[in-house]
Amino acid sequence: MSVTETFTANPSLHAPMLELSEIQATVLRIRPTPYFGSHVALRIDDPRAGRELIRRVTPHIDSAADWWEQATPWLSIAISYAGLQALGLPESSLQSFPEAFRVGMAARARELRDDGVNDPANWEPLFRDGKFHIGLSGFSGSEERWRQVMAVARQAYEGMSGVRLLAIEDFAVPDGRNSLGYKDGIDQPPVEGSGVDPLPGQGRAIKAGEFILGYPGEAGVPLPMPQPEALGRNGTFVGFRKYQSRVGAFNRFLHANGATEEERELVAAKLVGRWRSGAPLTLAPDRDDPALGADPKRNNDFEYKGDPHGRQIPFGAHIRRMNPRDTELTRLTDVNIHRLIRRGTTYGKPYDPTELSEDADQIERGAIFLFISGKAMATMEFLQQEWIDDGDFIGANGERDPIVGRQEPDATFTIPREPVRRRLRGIETFNVLRGGEYFFMPSLSALTWLGNLDG
Amino acid sequence: MESQTLTKAELDSVAQQKVQKLREVFADAPQIAKTALANLSQELTAHLSEPRSRMESAGRTGSRQGKVSELTLILTFAPGGARRLRALLQAQNGNFDGADKVGTLHDMRFVFLENDTKLLFATAYDGDWDAYIDDFATKIPDPMDAAFSAFEGWPGIANVQETKDWIAQHQVTAEGWYVASPDLTVAQTRKLEKVGKAVEEFLDQVG
Amino acid sequence: MASETMTRSDTEEAALAERFRKLHELYADAPEVGRVGLDKIIGDLKERVSGQQRATSAGRAGLRIGKVSELTLIADIKPAGARRMRALLDALGGNFQAADKVGTLHDMRFVFLENDTKVLFCTAYDGEWDPYIDDFATKIPDEMDVVFCNVEGWPGIRSPQIKDWIISKQHTADGWYVALPNQTVAKGRRLEKVGKAVDEFLDAVG
Repeated sequence: MSVTETFTANPSLHAPMLELSEIQATVLRIRPTPYFGSHVALRIDDPRAGRELIRRVTPHIDSAADWWEQATPWLSIAISYAGLQALGLPESSLQSFPEAFRVGMAARARELRDDGVNDPANWEPLFRDGKFHIGLSGFSGSEERWRQVMAVARQAYEGMSGVRLLAIEDFAVPDGRNSLGYKDGIDQPPVEGSGVDPLPGQGRAIKAGEFILGYPGEAGVPLPMPQPEALGRNGTFVGFRKYQSRVGAFNRFLHANGATEEERELVAAKLVGRWRSGAPLTLAPDRDDPALGADPKRNNDFEYKGDPHGRQIPFGAHIRRMNPRDTELTRLTDVNIHRLIRRGTTYGKPYDPTELSEDADQIERGAIFLFISGKAMATMEFLQQEWIDDGDFIGANGERDPIVGRQEPDATFTIPREPVRRRLRGIETFNVLRGGEYFFMPSLSALTWLGNLDG
Repeated sequence: MESQTLTKAELDSVAQQKVQKLREVFADAPQIAKTALANLSQELTAHLSEPRSRMESAGRTGSRQGKVSELTLILTFAPGGARRLRALLQAQNGNFDGADKVGTLHDMRFVFLENDTKLLFATAYDGDWDAYIDDFATKIPDPMDAAFSAFEGWPGIANVQETKDWIAQHQVTAEGWYVASPDLTVAQTRKLEKVGKAVEEFLDQVG
Repeated sequence: MASETMTRSDTEEAALAERFRKLHELYADAPEVGRVGLDKIIGDLKERVSGQQRATSAGRAGLRIGKVSELTLIADIKPAGARRMRALLDALGGNFQAADKVGTLHDMRFVFLENDTKVLFCTAYDGEWDPYIDDFATKIPDEMDVVFCNVEGWPGIRSPQIKDWIISKQHTADGWYVALPNQTVAKGRRLEKVGKAVDEFLDAVG
């Protein structure tokens, strides 16, 4: 059952409260399966050319109107602080953006705990020199429509002196699996007023202001919004983090800790919290259940209250860290204010369980982690500090996230178990950060406003 | 944690230089201090060449040792604020349930200063300085506002960004910060207490 | 943290009721957020029975809860003293081997105030005030002198006047909270060792 079918079949459809025609489609539209698309990285060398680019591309940027009926491909655009500067945004407006956004992701390495192999000094040049001004992304459920939508995008940016194409990252994922072989992107925060009720397991709808600027957030007031209102309202922030997956290391770890394929797949499932198909361990404790994994009405419908010792889904497992739900945490935490809308894409060679060599670690493949929130910078920095780089908050003290954590030598991963827990040694960094940036995703009106900055 | 890239000899040399520099700085100190420093020289050199841990920043402001950070605020009372805060502390009768719930506070003190015109607020806690302030705003807004409205300029916890700015404005970063067990968070200590108990019971049964 | 029900005498009850009445009155002219905040929590405050976290005196000065006490000191810095103190703290970089030697110090901070004319010294430590000061003089006299000589009026840690001097600069806290009041520094170190040993044991068995 595709997600589209899920929503049109949802009888709880009600009148949305958000200005959907202003919000960019990517904020609410679910990534289809299969999915195809491209990320285009652009640099603005001349402000007038940059604004002309914005004017050209704006009519083709899709809004979130009727997003639940999605069938068509869509285009989105986001701009970094350096990009806003390059467009000629007035200083007073520039200064109204949050500091983390203004200095850029590389400068927030300490707050993001991007050190060691993830240090910005090691990043790909595209991300290191602060010239990744504009991210233009196309998403589609079919290969043909993907080519069509990127052709439209190309017409907007090609042949403009003053706008330089830096890179294009294509992605074609027919099976919807990520670079480590898992179905991903399942659990998403439900946005209040978006037009549909939360799917089973998503919890209650979260105040829209946490994800879209200009609306009240969970504390009852809107989050700080860039000025002027014409620029900030209905906009949001997007983080972009490109990871290289060390598939060989991942497979070697499974082999080191599982003698049979069955044992290895169980270890793999314990690391994530889901089997490869997406079926959560809570609902499928012994083996994968692909029908369950494929069903969006069932594959996320679970809580942790029946698993207080982490014997189904370990405390340190990736999905339990990224959304603890009703897990009793050691610190006073409101999980609803630390959520991210995720639009990740897989790139490169698909996962292969037989690849064990160190050469396999060098193959260009991995994940582009795109995350969206009204305070995306602060949330990502919180997640990196509290939920990824450490485990004290959830009873996995001294351990880091097994999928995106940067691991120290001889790091461990604990699998609670009766009578004695299993502690796997030597877990390595499976996803290495190759670069990233923070972006602002303006509303449709704001794009028009930006395109006409010079009057 | 930074890896050691210097050799032992290089570390010793750096340490010696540090101590020498210190003796120069202390040239105009009272005699008692100069004597003390001379007495300590050898030990200090040995100690400095094998640092146990490093003092880091706790984020925007404040210092941190391992997992434990310090937050030190000097606040000015609003009109009537001192009386209100005192009454609140007395009514609580030593009860700080909110602090227990927060789960990251090792210790916390309120010290009225300068004839009740100022307050020193000092705490030792786990993590970076502002990680959970957004959570206070949605989970414990009332105790926060009831207490902190005693101070000049308190913006109300719902205004999280202004609250963070207000805290940063009134914070004084410690230039010396020591923690006995810098890797022991409150949560980890509670966990280890349970483990310790279980071990004792086990040994009781076996022994 | 489980709360124990404590039976209170009638006079205690009356005293507490009076405190709450007074508290409510005082908040009448508080800023709106404060007044609203208090109204929301006051019912809860009245119900909760305290006792376990009630602070007592740490001795001559300071507050104490369970085993852990606070010492808060503010003193004037001598001219040029700030420069020396800063250089020393900078060189040490947070490594206070002296504090390790004392063995009862949970945490300790030095903060420069008022344009480097004053220093704030805050610690949390195990036990009573008197033995704490005695410990400094016997275990780490030079370390104390090299830091505190930069402070006006410091008589030297071995001086008979030292305790009076400290009292004169100490501010007893008006509120003191400790998460784990029965956790001494020594116990913490022991727990860390036990934890490691258990992990190794379970690794071997599991």
